[in-house]
Amino acid sequence: MVSRVLSLTSGRVAAAVLALIALLALLGPWLAPHDPLAQSTATLAGPSGSHWLGTDHLGRDVLSRLLAGSRVSVLGSLEVALVALAVGVIPGILSVHLGRVFEWLTLRIADTLVALPFLLFAVAVIALLGNGITQAMLVTGALISPLFYRVARAATLTVARSPYVEAAIVSGASVGWIVRRHVWAKVLPPIAVALAQTIGVGFVIVSSLTFLGIGVQPPAPTWGGLLASDLGYLTYQPWAPLAPALLIMATVWAANLLADAIRDVTGEAGRALIDDRKARAAGTGPAATATAGGA
Amino acid sequence: MTTTAAQAPPDRRRGGAVARTRHTLGRVLATLARSAAIFAPVFLVATFVTFALRSLSGLSPARIQLGEDATPEAIARVEAAWGLNRPFLVQYGDWFRGVLHGQLGTSWTNGADISTLIGLGLGVSLSVAGLALVIGVLAGFALGTLAALKRTTWIDRAVTGFVTVVSVMPAFVVGIVLVAVLAVGLHLFPAAGYVPAADGIGPWLAHITLPALALSFDVIADVARQLRAGLVAAYRENYVTGAVVRGLSPRRVFLVHVLRNGLGPALATLGLKFPALVGASVVTEWIFGLQGFGRFANDSAQAGDVPAVQGVLVVSIVLVVAFNLVVNLVLARVTPAARRGV
Repeated sequence: MVSRVLSLTSGRVAAAVLALIALLALLGPWLAPHDPLAQSTATLAGPSGSHWLGTDHLGRDVLSRLLAGSRVSVLGSLEVALVALAVGVIPGILSVHLGRVFEWLTLRIADTLVALPFLLFAVAVIALLGNGITQAMLVTGALISPLFYRVARAATLTVARSPYVEAAIVSGASVGWIVRRHVWAKVLPPIAVALAQTIGVGFVIVSSLTFLGIGVQPPAPTWGGLLASDLGYLTYQPWAPLAPALLIMATVWAANLLADAIRDVTGEAGRALIDDRKARAAGTGPAATATAGGA
Repeated sequence: MTTTAAQAPPDRRRGGAVARTRHTLGRVLATLARSAAIFAPVFLVATFVTFALRSLSGLSPARIQLGEDATPEAIARVEAAWGLNRPFLVQYGDWFRGVLHGQLGTSWTNGADISTLIGLGLGVSLSVAGLALVIGVLAGFALGTLAALKRTTWIDRAVTGFVTVVSVMPAFVVGIVLVAVLAVGLHLFPAAGYVPAADGIGPWLAHITLPALALSFDVIADVARQLRAGLVAAYRENYVTGAVVRGLSPRRVFLVHVLRNGLGPALATLGLKFPALVGASVVTEWIFGLQGFGRFANDSAQAGDVPAVQGVLVVSIVLVVAFNLVVNLVLARVTPAARRGV
């Protein structure tokens, strides 16, 4: 699947942008030219040789804060996506196999979670349960898990009604064996799409929460927090929100692009699409171009 | 579809009209009943989770009123006064009965009536959310229709590209950019604050335009995308080809055949967007200094005022459910497929 995603231009671009941002998150704290918490007398300075993006209202270097804050923002959205995956996929698959009571119960819970204004709930619940990054990730992950629940359930349903699963049931296979052998293969691609989407959504939520000062305590830098502190000094530095805003948008965009690319190559028309593009790129008929990679 | 329509009319001419009215009424009632069957469990589960928040959080009014070093006896006395020593389900039943009567209890921090406090903020939030919906629907419909009518041309690609850019801008980023450019830079709008509509429509609009614009980007993107996909799919249907072959004007084909059938996904998205709109008010009201309902939720949550937070959450659930009922009714009225109960 990976090599097929990378054979699309959009897939390559998305992967490159996401890799760059992951690299920022990994190396950010070491790349930072200054201490992100060190204050100086040069407050609200414009961009210069030593401060590429200027300084904030306490004289702290903005570039260093941006780099140091990338870890919380990126890891946060990954955690949200993985929590949502864990909370959503397993009940989604089991809802098809575990009988009507479980199915009804999980469906109602998923309906409810979708109907909740999740940012409002996230803010309320996180503040009441104790303002920490772990609580924030668990709560937001649970709130957006219905996406995974539905995707996994829909894919499992199509598999469960197929003849080869019926054949497996008739020949006495256990539920666990059927899930491992048949269900995963069908469920995995849509889940990969949902995962890429959730990373984008999770990124928006994590930045929104850190913007409100929820989940992370103030002196620690985050991309959302940077925007929040810029808000008070727009009269002096109207350009200041540009860098964190562009970074947030680029990340969300790349995650969405990746989701679309995965959907394109794994969907019904996936292989045909790639063969077609390769044939066009080669300028010849489809005969010479076999698919490059496996799943 | 409904039995009311099948009853024999007493007088033929008036009876036809009566039967039609009854038929419409029956359809509305059927839609309402179907929606209620979906949303009643949602409401029950959501209120239960909301109420369980207090037990989960372990917060108590005694902490707020007596401070950190209160004696256990004093804490027990305060908790008994708030009725918190009763069994959980009894408390839930009492609270739920109050909610059904519009009584959301009293605030832990200042003893004020929470329904009144929320009522004060609701006007602000609903003004902003309403305008955001109007902007989102108008712009989304215009862009979606334009892209579908000019599909596969450069106009379509330009609209799609624009929508993609719009869709990756979170409300708080848009809000800050709008403040920086339109309020601080060009002085076109006030940067913060709110004026009720009763004090003049002009100032009221000026104060809610920027927050509404910030919230609307998400709606614009989703409505435009869904509408384009819905319309393009509708244009491929056989009945549209048939209508074109029969020589109907392009305008008539679009309005009667394509629009009504392609509208469904976009309208359904609107129902799903509303919770996000209510939720994002937390952020926009913070940016634009509005004393609305999202701000109230944030402040109460940070202060540990559990009944106030529960009240806000319940009101937000009611808003979402009510809005979805309206969307379902419109959906049932407009699109032929939804009317057949598909």
